[in-house]
Amino acid sequence: MVSPLILLPGDEIPSEYLPSTNSAPLRLGAGLRLLSQPSSNPSTPPSHVISATQSALLSTDTKRNAVSLLSTPNRRYIPTPGDLVIAQIHHSSPDYFHCMVTPQAPQAMLGQLSFEGATKKTRPMLKQGDLVYARVLSIGLGAGAEVELTCVNPATGRAEPGGLGPLTGGMVFDVSTGLAARLIKASSSSAEQQDGVAGLVVLDELGKKLEKAGGFEIAVGRNGKVWVDCANGGDSAIKATVAIGRCLSTIDEHELSPTDQRKLVTRILREMKIES
Amino acid sequence: MNKEAPLSIAERDFILNALREDVRLDGREADQFRPLNVSFGEEYGHVKIQLGKTSLIVRISSEVTKPHDDRPFDGIFTIALELTAMGSPAWENGRQGDLESYVSNVLDRVIRHSNALDTESLCVLKGVSCWSIRADVHITDYDGNLIDAACIGIMAGLQHFRRPDAVVKDGQVIVYGVDERVPVALNITHKPLSITFHTFDEGKRVILDATRKEEQASEADVLIGLNNAGDVCYISKFSGFPVDAMVFVNKSSVALEKVKEINNIIDKALQADLTKRAKTALVEESRAANDR
Repeated sequence: MVSPLILLPGDEIPSEYLPSTNSAPLRLGAGLRLLSQPSSNPSTPPSHVISATQSALLSTDTKRNAVSLLSTPNRRYIPTPGDLVIAQIHHSSPDYFHCMVTPQAPQAMLGQLSFEGATKKTRPMLKQGDLVYARVLSIGLGAGAEVELTCVNPATGRAEPGGLGPLTGGMVFDVSTGLAARLIKASSSSAEQQDGVAGLVVLDELGKKLEKAGGFEIAVGRNGKVWVDCANGGDSAIKATVAIGRCLSTIDEHELSPTDQRKLVTRILREMKIES
Repeated sequence: MNKEAPLSIAERDFILNALREDVRLDGREADQFRPLNVSFGEEYGHVKIQLGKTSLIVRISSEVTKPHDDRPFDGIFTIALELTAMGSPAWENGRQGDLESYVSNVLDRVIRHSNALDTESLCVLKGVSCWSIRADVHITDYDGNLIDAACIGIMAGLQHFRRPDAVVKDGQVIVYGVDERVPVALNITHKPLSITFHTFDEGKRVILDATRKEEQASEADVLIGLNNAGDVCYISKFSGFPVDAMVFVNKSSVALEKVKEINNIIDKALQADLTKRAKTALVEESRAANDR
């Protein structure tokens, strides 16, 4: 394991930090960009460099052959293709739902038929204020380009990974984009590292503690939104949901170590009078 | 896009359902304020207020001007509040929204029209010169309950501010610099604060100090402005769902309790700042003596 690398915008990533397996194509995460550098000698092909677009820690995932940036807890979200986001329907037109990914930013388009198994007759009827869990399909080029979202994988026609589509019930909490990225990362690489990825154990801990109360469903959007629902929670459903929201916002505001995160979960659950 | 993003249906329903179970999103009680922090800057009348995630800066400034013709014995006191894009992406620079005029109006009513600052004491020479005190409110972050936070900021600023000393000599007004004469505190007659309540569920649930999301999900707001003695100087219920008259009666006593609590916090912060200033002044003085 090489020592952690801190990058500034425009920094190139040294090749020794990239995953070495050459069989699969390298996946670039948010905040990284592939640039081609024209070489001084016109006969040789231009070389490529991967450079960072924001200051962050570099994180590599050798299993998935991916590199990405662990961004700092900033608030602004810039759509990148492939990101999972929670969008809110603003209005619908014959072909598209116009969605808000971030407030005060141009709306994104979500095709009326880009849902799993949707046909003209079976497409979901979403109204203003409904939420969808979607993937950023393309961000267009140039000024005024539209961001397009989708709830299916265009290649297979399935809602991959599971859970894409309209979100009903539950509650949405606002977190920083940095925490959202960490949450996604923590859930995608399951328990191979001790104490969670990037020191985030709060969801595992909450999952263990809230098992008796019926468990919970969670969807994390890269645009800094976390949707939580405790549909099986019975009487304590609302309390449990609020408890999860409070845990997340506290962790967002304070840098907590895994032990402190466990303590926080216990304390908030006790405060909210939820049995664990 | 000079508009607050609307809440999703899920958020709206959840906030209401949670309140029906007496649960708020941040785990507060219905009648509980968010943590309030009052701090002062280097200069007199420079206050920073942090109420939960809502934060603002108040600057009090003074200058000598001519009084209004119809009120030759009165000084001038203005409150200037502008919602700029610095506070929230939903606000646009240079364009006045509904919220801005509403908040300015309430602040004017609660603080200016209740005569919290004795404007007659600002008169220097009848009809010729008087002090003009100006309170500038800058919002740096917005998470609901702007009115209460701004009220706390302005009142703390007025109590903290010291204007330069001025005397009249042979019909001439002489203003002494802050380093020449000890500056003078303003004459505060009483300390009114506004307390905002929001109602939910057809007026059955009433909460204090709502966050931005709670404000958006609420049906109506009830404002009570009162001072430490319990004198109500402002009460309003502008729009939204009807509210039972008993709410005003019951919540006035809650508001009184809160006003006392907040005034206590302001007093403590002022006291701490004064002792800090006295200490640094002593140090400066001794240093000056050593230099000599």
